[in-house]
Amino acid sequence: MKPFTFFTPNDSDEAVRLLDQYSPGARIIAGGQTLLLAMKTRTERPAVLVSLAGISNLSGAATDVSGQLVVGATTTYAALTHAVFSGWHREISVMAGNLADRPVRTMGTIGGALCSGDPCFDMPTLVMGVGAQIETLSPAGVRTLTPEEFFGVGGGITIASNEILTSIRFPSADVFTAVAFEKFRQRTFDTAVVSALCATRIDTDGAVVEMRLTIGAATPTPTRAINSARELIGRPAADIDPVAVAVAVAHEVLGEPGTDSELVQYQRELIKALTRKALSRALTTSRS
Amino acid sequence: MQDVTITINGTDVTAGIDERTLLLEYIRDVAGLTGTHNGCLEARCGCCSVEVDGDIVKSCNVLALQVNGKSVTTIEGLSPQRLRPIVHLTSQSLAGMYQPLEVLGADANDLHPVQAAFHKCHALQCGFCTPGMVMVLKNYLEENPEPTRDDLRTAIAGNLCRCTGYQHIIDAGMQAAEQLRAARTAADPYLCAAVVGDA
Repeated sequence: MKPFTFFTPNDSDEAVRLLDQYSPGARIIAGGQTLLLAMKTRTERPAVLVSLAGISNLSGAATDVSGQLVVGATTTYAALTHAVFSGWHREISVMAGNLADRPVRTMGTIGGALCSGDPCFDMPTLVMGVGAQIETLSPAGVRTLTPEEFFGVGGGITIASNEILTSIRFPSADVFTAVAFEKFRQRTFDTAVVSALCATRIDTDGAVVEMRLTIGAATPTPTRAINSARELIGRPAADIDPVAVAVAVAHEVLGEPGTDSELVQYQRELIKALTRKALSRALTTSRS
Repeated sequence: MQDVTITINGTDVTAGIDERTLLLEYIRDVAGLTGTHNGCLEARCGCCSVEVDGDIVKSCNVLALQVNGKSVTTIEGLSPQRLRPIVHLTSQSLAGMYQPLEVLGADANDLHPVQAAFHKCHALQCGFCTPGMVMVLKNYLEENPEPTRDDLRTAIAGNLCRCTGYQHIIDAGMQAAEQLRAARTAADPYLCAAVVGDA
């Protein structure tokens, strides 16, 4: 690790001021589970670390008056795992409890996972998959970003070096009747090789009203299969063939099969299998 | 340099440290508690797992500054036992390692239930991963006193052991869970250790 100065501000405004003052050499540290590994190998060499640990209003999850679930950026995976949610929000708990390993989940935060910009992490796929809004704070003030605005097209994230991700605003529990996330990884504590998320709403007649299919880890940012999902709107859920949809999603995300490299062939097979599982589970949960 | 105070196993340890000091280095080099092992230093092997305010963390991937003012429990904190230090390490004393408790002048009654179960089930060979395994299992069993074998496998997913093949560790975890449940009923945290020791 290269030497650095460590600050522990007590509120977000002070944190932003420190970031602004020492930018671009300053970095935010939340749990540090990704950043410290990068600093040990010197792929990251911040001169200043600004810790968010002392800012209490950045952690915790609560439902606001409109029913949206607001999760503070420094909420740890462990806290999300133990949180009591209702409806599809429970899938957030399940996802947070099924990644990395127990000690890492104690420190790792949802905001840290998003700001690392690593598409293999589950939280970017979740945020993109359900269309959560991302709130940030900078010297210019507060702004709200869609996931498409937050994640850069070629990978990474778009927020400025003096900007802090403060909270993630998930759609309310009645927006989706079910959200299902599936992933494949080599070992339990590894990041995903490919992940798939299906968020859907089915009306009382059993017809699909809302459908979002998102693939993570196969592309530099999580990718939504917008056309494949749109095809399903209005159709009775019982008539949907998850296998056919999964094939269409794989082709939409990776392009039509041509002279694929072995990696792309592997990803294509995984997208088919995981999309089928996520879609089937979401439809089954919605109908029950 | 920055001053930090961390409570380690109930004792306040204050020192001026380089900002880069990891919690692991603080525990081993500043506090002198070498039970917490430095395995991979990249948050993979889990040998350095300790509890911070009751939550398990990998101390090699946390800065000491991040836990300033908090309370840390290491493997030494589990069994404040009357260990007799080995002054002269000889081939004779090494041969005695087959019965480590007796060699160390310790008593199974002094061990934490998870440690006692590790001893009973032969859940270690070289012992390098053991401090981390014990800490993670202790932390998990406090949250879930009625685990299945699969639950325990998932709980120690972040801990690597190259000796045992994990079977005996899971055996020990199951036995410790049983003992902890019995102790919880009897409201005596060390009853279970006595049961294991007498068996």
